[in-house]
Amino acid sequence: MPAIRAASKRKPPPEGFTDIEEDLLIFGNKMKDAQNAPTDNIPKHQAQWPVFQISHQRSRYIYELYYEKEAISKQLYDWLLKNNYADALLIAKWKKQGYEKLCCLRCVQTKETNFNSTCICRVPKAQLKEGQDVQCVSCGCRGCASCD
Amino acid sequence: MLKSTYVPSPAVLQPLPAGWTEHKAPTGHTYYYNAETKESTYKRPVAVPAPMKPMDNYHQHQVVPQIKLSDPNVANAFMAQFAPPPPQQQQHGGRGGFGGPGGRGSFQSRPRPQPVDKPRSKVAIPGHEPWVLVYTKYGRRFAYNSAKNASYWRIPEKLMPAILELDKERIRLKALGKSLDEKDEGDKQKSAAGPSPRPATHEDEAPAHDYDSSEYEEVEVTDDEGDEQEDGNAPKRQRTEEPTENQGPVEFTEADIAAQLAAMGADYADDEEGEYYGYDEEMGEGGDAGVLLSEQDTRELFKDLLNDFNINPYSPWEKLIEEGKVFDDPRYTVLGTTRERKEVWEEWSRAKIQQLKEMRAKESKKDPKIPYLALLQEKATPKLYWPEFKRKYKKEEAMKDTKLSDKDREKLYREHINRLKMPQSQLKADLKKLLESVALSALNNTTMVSHLPPQVLGDIRYISLDPQIRDPFVEAYIQGLGPPPADDQLAQEEEDEAAKKRREERKRREKALEERERAVAEEKRRQEKKVRFERAKLREEERELERAMQVGKKGLQSQLGVMDKDAVMDDAALM
Repeated sequence: MPAIRAASKRKPPPEGFTDIEEDLLIFGNKMKDAQNAPTDNIPKHQAQWPVFQISHQRSRYIYELYYEKEAISKQLYDWLLKNNYADALLIAKWKKQGYEKLCCLRCVQTKETNFNSTCICRVPKAQLKEGQDVQCVSCGCRGCASCD
Repeated sequence: MLKSTYVPSPAVLQPLPAGWTEHKAPTGHTYYYNAETKESTYKRPVAVPAPMKPMDNYHQHQVVPQIKLSDPNVANAFMAQFAPPPPQQQQHGGRGGFGGPGGRGSFQSRPRPQPVDKPRSKVAIPGHEPWVLVYTKYGRRFAYNSAKNASYWRIPEKLMPAILELDKERIRLKALGKSLDEKDEGDKQKSAAGPSPRPATHEDEAPAHDYDSSEYEEVEVTDDEGDEQEDGNAPKRQRTEEPTENQGPVEFTEADIAAQLAAMGADYADDEEGEYYGYDEEMGEGGDAGVLLSEQDTRELFKDLLNDFNINPYSPWEKLIEEGKVFDDPRYTVLGTTRERKEVWEEWSRAKIQQLKEMRAKESKKDPKIPYLALLQEKATPKLYWPEFKRKYKKEEAMKDTKLSDKDREKLYREHINRLKMPQSQLKADLKKLLESVALSALNNTTMVSHLPPQVLGDIRYISLDPQIRDPFVEAYIQGLGPPPADDQLAQEEEDEAAKKRREERKRREKALEERERAVAEEKRRQEKKVRFERAKLREEERELERAMQVGKKGLQSQLGVMDKDAVMDDAALM
């Protein structure tokens, strides 16, 4: 592992980072809080939901800034991905048709499920029973089909 | 051994009533024992008809009377108020303070410090003249009759309607956003939350040492019925102020307040339609929002809202929602759904970011060297080596800037230190050379010394001369220069464009507002017209009904006759 350089010797982040620095910091703090929150009183499978949610929100934020609002430069976007501010693999899915709102990668991973199918949250609301309220096991998503 | 902090007050040192004797517990506490009733208490019992004090101050009302717990009236009232009766605080004989569980004794000896409530403001109750509604520091209130010198936590029945009116008025004012005293807030809280924490004023005067909270309550309950006092029983007994705290709010439950608010909301819809734009759209018509404002207008208004609140266009939508600053603004509700709002927000942020980008492109790039050089000029001395300097000033903004690498900083520092050792004539010559190298468009006789071009400020030659010598030198040099070349037309044009844009923007917004007002007025007029029409129709119907009811002896024939006559007349008119 390469040595971590001192902040003063690191290359500065690309232009425009200062605009989003504050919001990224807020996300980072939220993430820290979520990671440090006690998980004593919640079901085991729910322990990681907040982490997934915050990660999703942050990735979405960067994705929208770059692809929809065109607010940040390519350099900055690449730099953000490189520095793990966003999940590049998840963003790669969002670009595909039918996956525009995908909540997490685990929910489209068919191989790990009992019936070799995707997660319940991928099922469109129209196909669910009337009034059926689902929340998926892996990330607490309530439905991320593109047509919802 | 636990020591009581209790200091006997003069009230306590009255002679004991018959049957009571004073004893000392092994802990040192004094307690009182009644051999007849086998009662014992830490509190000094007082003869029942206690002397009445003049009530010039509300505090004096709150002296806790020594109520006999054996009094059946009191006991009944108490039972009625607290469903599970708290354990009687009567301990027998020598067991004294140790009757309870271990920690209890210490708890009893030192009661929790209680905040002291005070009357803060009063409002005359209209229609019941001597009566005044007094608000206390903690937002509670009681009724006070200045003529009878009587006050009640529980508001007497006959005052109820007037006080309800007062409350309504107050809530209305609040809804209108008028300035209100802080007391009201507290009061509202209280009435919404039911019984408030128990008052504590007696702390100062009541003997404090053996109060258990339950007994406390017991004492407070004493005069349960307001009318009982009015009957003239009252003067015989010392008056207590605490009692019916938990009965008072019963009349003002949350449901009541909600109902009041709803009623008032209806009032607004009638009265203040014109004044309160967002309101009717949000509450009343629902679908009519589109009628009042065009879609374009609503969008613009929402964008104005975003601009006014200085929302960061780079921030995510969730942040805006979480912060919730914009919810209170009436412009927030011009758009019906959150989805629409988000859409408009997206549009706005995209435009705003574009605008920011353009502005930045126009803005000249700031040289990161300039603040660093300014720091060097101020702080650098030959006495400090670079690492020392770096360590000493690492907190400075100029030292943390990532645009300038550490290496460059070091280089500049060393160079600057070296130049400080050079003779002044040499430095002056260098500075002159630097100034000469700057084009006339950037540096001319209109340039101010405080606003030199960045080429000059970002050069090491500029800072190496002491400012006291340098500034007059630069000034003299600038005065010797010619006027600026005539190329500032460009700048002017730019300014013109910006001003025009701003003016247009302003016009658009004003127009939108005007339109909105007009639309609202029109809507109002239309409704009024409708109401008038309906009323006329109703009257007409009533008249018709009346006519129909006036069936004389002829019975139906009279009516038919009238109709026939009408038909004849119609025919005549046709012909």
